[in-house]
Amino acid sequence: MSASDLVFAICAVVCVLSAILIVSQKNPVYSVVFMLPFFLGMTVIFVLLQATFLAAIQMIVYGGAILVVFLFVIMLINLKPEELRDDFSTYGFLAAIVGILLLGLGIGWLAGSGATPMMEHEFAARTADVGAAAVSGEAKIVFGSAESLAGPLFRQHIVPFELASILIVVAMLGAVLLSKRKL
Amino acid sequence: MPGAYSQFLTLAETAAETGALFNIKNCLLVATLLFIIGAFGVISRRNILIMLISIELMLNAVNLVFASFARAHVHMAAQTGNPNAGESGQIFALFVIAIAAAEAAVGLAIVITYFRNRETVDTRDMRMLSK
Repeated sequence: MSASDLVFAICAVVCVLSAILIVSQKNPVYSVVFMLPFFLGMTVIFVLLQATFLAAIQMIVYGGAILVVFLFVIMLINLKPEELRDDFSTYGFLAAIVGILLLGLGIGWLAGSGATPMMEHEFAARTADVGAAAVSGEAKIVFGSAESLAGPLFRQHIVPFELASILIVVAMLGAVLLSKRKL
Repeated sequence: MPGAYSQFLTLAETAAETGALFNIKNCLLVATLLFIIGAFGVISRRNILIMLISIELMLNAVNLVFASFARAHVHMAAQTGNPNAGESGQIFALFVIAIAAAEAAVGLAIVITYFRNRETVDTRDMRMLSK
């Protein structure tokens, strides 16, 4: 069992446990608190998957922005404890059945899909001798770094990128418009 | 279900054959579990804040799938001749994060407005859109 196996096992257990705790808490404040270990575990798994830039963005946007916005809203609306009744609905049983069916489908598909190795050979070809290339002056871009994402993001995916910026502006204006008392 | 159980055993065997616990299949398995927990939260909880958090959970699971497949398809660069083809999955995950941020902002604005009018976050009490 190598080091990455151990780290992956710990992160997977932390993620799944904190996800279960998020869903099962009565008070939403505790749910938001359990989001932090969840996002931390996801970030470490992203780093293991060599998605380093994605991991940084995940930590900044989810851990920094979304979590704080959720916490702010929960504090702002100031829920009283008596309003937090036990709220698992009668659909809970149905939801559990649907979840178990989905899990069976997922496991069955994964089991039937054949071996999916980590493509160590090709991966090594792309990440190896980065240092040597840097010495020889010939730049080699590391998989998953900000550099390697910038090229395709601003070439092939430029239109969705600009659309995402428009979407975020619209969402920001919409949030302000919605939550303002009087315009 | 004996079929599903034997399939699960095959999955465990292939994981054992490849030796490493950290492989694409296990990443996808974790993502499946997280997505199901999120879906369970959306269906069964009646607190709209926890429903929104569960949606974030599901989006995160999808991001994990994208990152796993990006990692598994590093070799796409050699096949397509595009040096950064393997990174497409990570770029999709970036877009998912952007959409998730926008969705959280708008959703929470709606929650604030609704709570101001109705003093509730319970979806069982949400039956009317107007005042």
